[in-house]
Amino acid sequence: MATVTFDNASRIYQSGQRPAVDSLNLTIDDGEFLVLVGPSGCGKSTTLRMLAGLEPIDGGNVFIGDIDVTMLPPRERDIAMVFQSYALYPHMTVAENIGFHLKIKKLPKDEITQRVKEAAALLDLQDYLNRKPAKLSGGQRQRVAMGRAIVRQPKVFLMDEPLSNLDAKLRVQTRTQIAALQRRLGVTTLYVTHDQVEAMTMGDRVAVLKDGILQQCASPRELFINPVNIFVAGFIGSPAMNLLQAHVTEGGATIGSMTVPLTPDQRGSLTSEAVTIGLRPEGLSVGAHGALGGLDATVETVEELGSDAFLYCTVPGVEGVEGFVVARAEGLSGTRASDRISLIPDHGVVHLFDTATGLRLTSPK
Amino acid sequence: MSSSLTLVQRKPGYSKPLRSLTYAFLTAVALAWMVPILGAFYSSLRPYAETQRKGIFSMPDSLSFKNYGDAFKQGGMGGWHGTFANTAFIVFPSIALILLFSSFMAFAVSRFTWRFNITLLLIFTAGNLLPAQVIFKPLFSFYEHVPWPNFLSDTNTGHLLGTKIAVIIIHVAFQTGFCTFVLSNYMKTIPKELNEAALVDGASVPRQFFQIILPLCRPALAALATLEFTWLYNDFFWAVVLLNQGSERPITSSIANLGGQYFSNDNLIAAGSMIIAMPTLAVYLMLQKQFISGLTLGASKG
Repeated sequence: MATVTFDNASRIYQSGQRPAVDSLNLTIDDGEFLVLVGPSGCGKSTTLRMLAGLEPIDGGNVFIGDIDVTMLPPRERDIAMVFQSYALYPHMTVAENIGFHLKIKKLPKDEITQRVKEAAALLDLQDYLNRKPAKLSGGQRQRVAMGRAIVRQPKVFLMDEPLSNLDAKLRVQTRTQIAALQRRLGVTTLYVTHDQVEAMTMGDRVAVLKDGILQQCASPRELFINPVNIFVAGFIGSPAMNLLQAHVTEGGATIGSMTVPLTPDQRGSLTSEAVTIGLRPEGLSVGAHGALGGLDATVETVEELGSDAFLYCTVPGVEGVEGFVVARAEGLSGTRASDRISLIPDHGVVHLFDTATGLRLTSPK
Repeated sequence: MSSSLTLVQRKPGYSKPLRSLTYAFLTAVALAWMVPILGAFYSSLRPYAETQRKGIFSMPDSLSFKNYGDAFKQGGMGGWHGTFANTAFIVFPSIALILLFSSFMAFAVSRFTWRFNITLLLIFTAGNLLPAQVIFKPLFSFYEHVPWPNFLSDTNTGHLLGTKIAVIIIHVAFQTGFCTFVLSNYMKTIPKELNEAALVDGASVPRQFFQIILPLCRPALAALATLEFTWLYNDFFWAVVLLNQGSERPITSSIANLGGQYFSNDNLIAAGSMIIAMPTLAVYLMLQKQFISGLTLGASKG
């Protein structure tokens, strides 16, 4: 068990170009499940590979526990990794795959067999120990990859999008299993994904990366309630937050028929007249057209899911996500396309950002 | 699901005559192709005097395997110092060395990024394009000047020229280029993650090579071994150029031994040819699959 610390760690693929990972400072606590999330090309996999030792570190340091592993080869780092493609050895049986590291470490045969069996039992793989990977289903292969990591009892687990090759239903199941397993074993884990739902459901904390720069690292709850900038606000949550361009007026930030009051602090920290108002679809209530404090809108499309319905609305003079402002309504509520409604933000869920800097305008709690 | 499948029926009036025409043509070509080998087989079973008298295309008076025994003896094929043994001594070590060296090379070129990778591969492949006829003279002189202890050969000339080792060396040098090219293409289709997983598992580079990559290259190695076997077995050029003592020469030279200076027993030569063709035919028939995949290997992946 150990903590993991990135101390100003950078990775530059080609000199003169933007670093793939730029001066990353991040600490993973002992036993913590930390998820790295971000759009493709944000440097999340590179970060993981830097910790694994598969990617050289061009600046700064990486520590596992108190040991500076920056220059150590992968095998001296005491880490185990689960690859996106699983990278199972096709010519070895499941048992040999799981036991490969132990064999290299020259452990006695009995002990290897014993530990492989334990790992297999944990993952429900006992019946498949003598099969080759080609004869396994996707989910079983994924579990073998997990087994290969577990059997080593390493200081840190590294997982690189381990669920992305599974079908949707299995992904949801396995997601829960992995999180439960990690909690049971208590091994510090760094988990990379591009799927924000995975990130929110699995992680103790979630680190959001963009263009190689850490945007925010916080608990899922904190990320959802207090995104530090426009990027995090738009990335976390599904459907995405509505980010609407408003301008500053005497009453506050005005957009269409709605004005959001600004505190003196918020006004003071503004760098220009432009404010971005963030409204989560689930933070909007539907009211009668012309309601006070609401945003008058026309429903264009209704996505009926049964339990919820998502209303894609247009608001005159306002551009939302792909031209729509999205609101969540009760399922089967009877709202129809071309209805004229008012979108009323629930109290205390309006996010305000400085459009120029992208940063959150902190509101008093 | 199955209800959406419909049988595609060919129009009988169109395809039947065309298809029989195709079959007729293919059968004719196949037969024409078989004429030389069947002809040789037929003559090999008949005595010389009979074909001289009645011509090659005639009904037999007698059929026997006598020519085979004679060819085997006169061609010097049998025994520990016979041409079959010589060929085995050249071909098997050559194949082993070729596959070993070329898999080393291919591993280095395909699994590690090194700035001279392409250059190296180019040199190896370009060497393949050199005609043997161009380099044999310098090579001949070179071998003549390399001292070689007599106890390592039975030629007693004191230099490398004339030893079977000399032939093995040139075979290895020539064929390693081709095999490297094929194997490196094959290895490139093995995902890099496997090496990375092995690296994280703590495997050293030799272990990655011998325990991960090499076992996965087994189909490619089998195909190349089959291909190389036929090529090296059939080699006549290097054997004749480099081995000046008859006792060192491989099986392909046995045919030459069977022909006399003023008179050739064609039936005997036919029998000799059949004997000599046997191993390659056997290898080809047994490992047809590997043989064909060997020819297309590296052309496209998988």
